[in-house]
Formats: sequence, C-alpha cells, structure tokens
Amino acid sequence: MTSDAGSRFRRTLLRVAIVQIVTLLLLGYLQYLFTP
Amino acid sequence: MHPLNWVIVIGWLVYVVSHGIRRSKGTDKIEGYFLANRSLPWWAVGLSVMATQLSAVTMIGTTGQGATDGMKFVQFYFGLPLAMVILGVTLVPFLHGARVYTAYEYLERRFDPATRSLTAFLFLVSRAMSCGAIIAAPAVVFSAIFGWSLWWCVALIGVPAILYTMVGGVQAVTWVDVKQMFLIVGALIAVVVTVIVKLPVSLHDAFVIAGHAQRLRVFDFSFDLTKTYTFWSGMIGGTFLMLSYFGTDQSQVQRYLAAKSVDEARNSLLFSAYWKIPLQALVLLVGVLVFVFYQVKPAPMLFNPAVERQVIKAYPVEYAELKVRYDSAASFPFIRESIRGEALGMAQRLTGEPAKDVNYIIPRFVIDNLPIGLAGLFIAAVIAAAMNAISGELMSLSTATVIDFYKRWISADAPEERLLVISRAATVFWGIFACVVATYAVSLGSLIEVVNRFGSFFYGSILGVFLLAMIKRANARGAFIGLIIGMATVGLVNWRLPKVAFLWHNVIGAVVVVVVGMLISYLTGPSRAQPASSRA
Repeated sequence: MTSDAGSRFRRTLLRVAIVQIVTLLLLGYLQYLFTP
Repeated sequence: MHPLNWVIVIGWLVYVVSHGIRRSKGTDKIEGYFLANRSLPWWAVGLSVMATQLSAVTMIGTTGQGATDGMKFVQFYFGLPLAMVILGVTLVPFLHGARVYTAYEYLERRFDPATRSLTAFLFLVSRAMSCGAIIAAPAVVFSAIFGWSLWWCVALIGVPAILYTMVGGVQAVTWVDVKQMFLIVGALIAVVVTVIVKLPVSLHDAFVIAGHAQRLRVFDFSFDLTKTYTFWSGMIGGTFLMLSYFGTDQSQVQRYLAAKSVDEARNSLLFSAYWKIPLQALVLLVGVLVFVFYQVKPAPMLFNPAVERQVIKAYPVEYAELKVRYDSAASFPFIRESIRGEALGMAQRLTGEPAKDVNYIIPRFVIDNLPIGLAGLFIAAVIAAAMNAISGELMSLSTATVIDFYKRWISADAPEERLLVISRAATVFWGIFACVVATYAVSLGSLIEVVNRFGSFFYGSILGVFLLAMIKRANARGAFIGLIIGMATVGLVNWRLPKVAFLWHNVIGAVVVVVVGMLISYLTGPSRAQPASSRA
C-alpha cells in the first residue's frame, strides 16, 4: 500500500469508526435509559 | 384488504418490470448484460448491494424478531463496517483490477481450475436453494393471510423478478434495486409513524414499556461461544462472515465489479458501512414499537390466520374457552402472553411442528391497522424486497453458470450472441428452479435447512481461499486441500460441538484454510502462478 493509499485508508477508517461509535452510543443510551 | 391497496401493489409491479426492461439498453454484449459495461455510479451500486441483502425475510421476519426478541439482533452486523473497510483495500482492488466476471474466475488465474470450479459449484448449490427460500418466506405468509394458493404467491413474487432480470441484466437489476430501496425505507417509516400515531401512550412511555420487557436491550458483552448474538460474535464472527459474503459471494461481488472504477467500487461498499446498522436498527425498532402497540391494544391470539382457522376447526370448544380467557385478561399482558402460549401449543399439537407466528406479526399489524394505501405500499415493499434479493442472486447464478462452467469447460470461444442467449436462458432456468423450490418449501423445509447449514460450512472456508490468494507463497495445492480441510473442520465442529454459534464457523473455516493452505504450500514448494498483487 502506498503512503497516499495508506493515509486515505486511515481517514476512511476513522470516518466509518466515528459514525459507528455514534450509532452504538445512541443504541446504548436507549438501552441505558429504558432498560431496568 | 381494500381494492385500492391491490391497485398500488399491481401498479408497482407493472412499473418495476417496465422500468427494468427500459433499462436494458447496452445489454447486447456479455459485458453489458453481466457488468453493465462497468459503468455504474457508486451510489447506485451501494444501494443495490444493500437491496440484495435486504430480503422479504428482513421485512417480515426481522421486524417480527424485533417484536419477540427486541433489538439484540443488530449485534449481528457489528462487524460489517470494519469488513467493508478491509475489503476496500484488499479484495476490491484485486477483483476490479483483474477485469474478471466472477470472483471464482480470479481463483483460476491465481491457483488452478479445480479451486475455481469447486468454489463456483458450492456457490451455485447454496445460492440456488437460498433463492428458493427467499421466495418461499413471503409467499407462505401471503398464502396464509390472503388465503391464496402458494403457487400464485410464488408467481406473484418470482415472475416479475425473472422477467426484468432476464431482459435487462445487471443494469436493470441495479436501477430497479435503487427505486425499490426508496419504497422499502418509505414503507418502514410509514409503519413507525402509524404505530406512533395510533399508540394511546406517549413515545416516552412506549419506550418505558419496551425497556421493561427487555426489548431495548442491544448489547450482550458475554463471551459465550454458544450464544448466537453477542457483541463479540458480531464483532469477530460477523467480520469474518461479512468479509466472506461481500468479498467472495458472486451475488455481492458482481455489483461492485459493475462500478465505473476501483474508487467507485470501494465507495459503494462504504455505503453499507455507514448505513447498514442504522437501517437494521430501524427494522428492529418497527418490531419493538408493534410489540408495544399490542401491549396496550388487543392483539390476535394467533397471528397466523390459516393456523387459527385450522385450530378453530379441530378444537372448537377449547379454543373458544381460551379466547374468552384471553379477552378477559386485556389488562394483564403477561397472562395474555401465557394464554397465547397455550394457543400456540394447540397449533403445535395439530400441525406436529413447533408453532411460531413471528413472521405474521407485522403483516397482520399492517393489514389491520395501516390506512388504506399505506397497507398496499407495505405489501408492495415486501414483494420489492424479495424481488431485489432474487434478481441479484439470479444474475449471479446465471453469470457463474455461463462464465465458470459453460465458457470454461464447454465452449471457450462461443460467439457473444450465443453466450447472451445462454445467459438469458440460465437466468430463466434458475428463476424457475427457485420458484419450484419455493413451492415445495414446506415439504423441503428440512432440506433447505440442511443446505443453509451446509452453506455455513464453507462460507468462512472460501474466504480463507481468497486470503491465501493474497499471500505470495500460497500455491494451488495448498488452496484446494486447505478448502476441503476447512469445510471438513467446520462440519466436524458442527457435529461434535453443535452448540457453537454459527457466526464462529466463519472464523474457524477461514483460519483453518489459511493455516493448512500455507503449511501445504511450504511443504510442496512455490506456486507457478503469479501472486495476486502482481496481477491487480
């Protein structure tokens, strides 16, 4: 993998990770708020 | 159902078929028919990839699962975003750059014809049967709810899909998928809005009810190999499954091979990475809200009307007594649930099979509660979801048949015109095969289950072969023997340790193939074929 492709991969991974973490946090918050 | 709903369903089917046929331009050559001349934009491919895996089972089975088990199924998809990113930098550039028609064709270039033919054969067997199961699931539900013969229901779903796939090839499949995805998401949102409007309690109170019934529990962090859906099985087993499904299954690979460029192919997969988990959460939330609805409003004692009719006929007095008890326990959901269990027990005694009506919860809710027009929209969306999945699979079955078998073993230099005729014939053949399997789904139930189980034996193992293809030192003998030993190991694990959840089979299969394949490769010497990286 070239350094250009490497940095693009890291940026993509970061973006996907942020979206997923926000989604999981929202689902977790829903569980935390309403599940006794 | 109101006639206007049927007008909407029929209208949608006519529109979809005509739209698919209009999109058949440029399909007079094999590359146009199978790969849309590698011209599709990333967003259309991305929507099509999502549409192919969102079948009618998702619309009626997964939503029903949301009602009965809550949100925990979403953990199944936790590995998907990571898998998409990994594929974006590994298999996608190899496969797209190799200018192949099928993923298995690439294996011959890297290894040998035997490995290609075996993987393509395994794909044909499992996909042909699963295609039948995809048609059968909604057809059986429609047949029970509307009282039609199963044949008619199978034809209603199968014939339009076969028609536009046969005429328009992958181009028609993709553009129809795009349109139908909007319909499907719209129908799901319509159900959510209807439930919220019709609920006599606030949305906050609805969530409190769902939470108390454990329907909002998403995460299970226990590391238990026997539990199907946990955070870890989703993250680890799910990653391997998604790598295998999106990276090596022709029904998915064909989509991104049709993209304009490697970057467009990559972006199409990232579309799923961003949207799959939120979409799946929406699907399950539909079920959770319908569960709450039936906690505060009267629910049918049995959701499957066909089974209910049979039970009333066989046990008229007992069922009537049970119904009186059920109706008088309106304010006590737990007692009602127990009485429902007794009714399901009666159904089980009658049919001799475990009685489950999870697939009937959402269709019954839709027909009984959605306003005129929206109910038709939802039924059209269920058919659309089934057609999306079938059309993608028929296309890939036809491609593998023609490219990996006919062109490879029978007639390597067949003219384009003949290949095109055979491709269309193969599409129709597999379509009819799937419809026949679907029609006999009830009697073939255990056979389909065996084939699906068999499918889980080799999913991870095929991924292992593709991983080997990217390792320079791996050779053809290592790949072929590794594949056989990988599948056998998963079969053995399934036989000796049946409680190990199926998601872990993918990890076991892939790891065994890579380890055994490398071991044999080192023992038998370097491959004469070139490594994958130098060909991409």
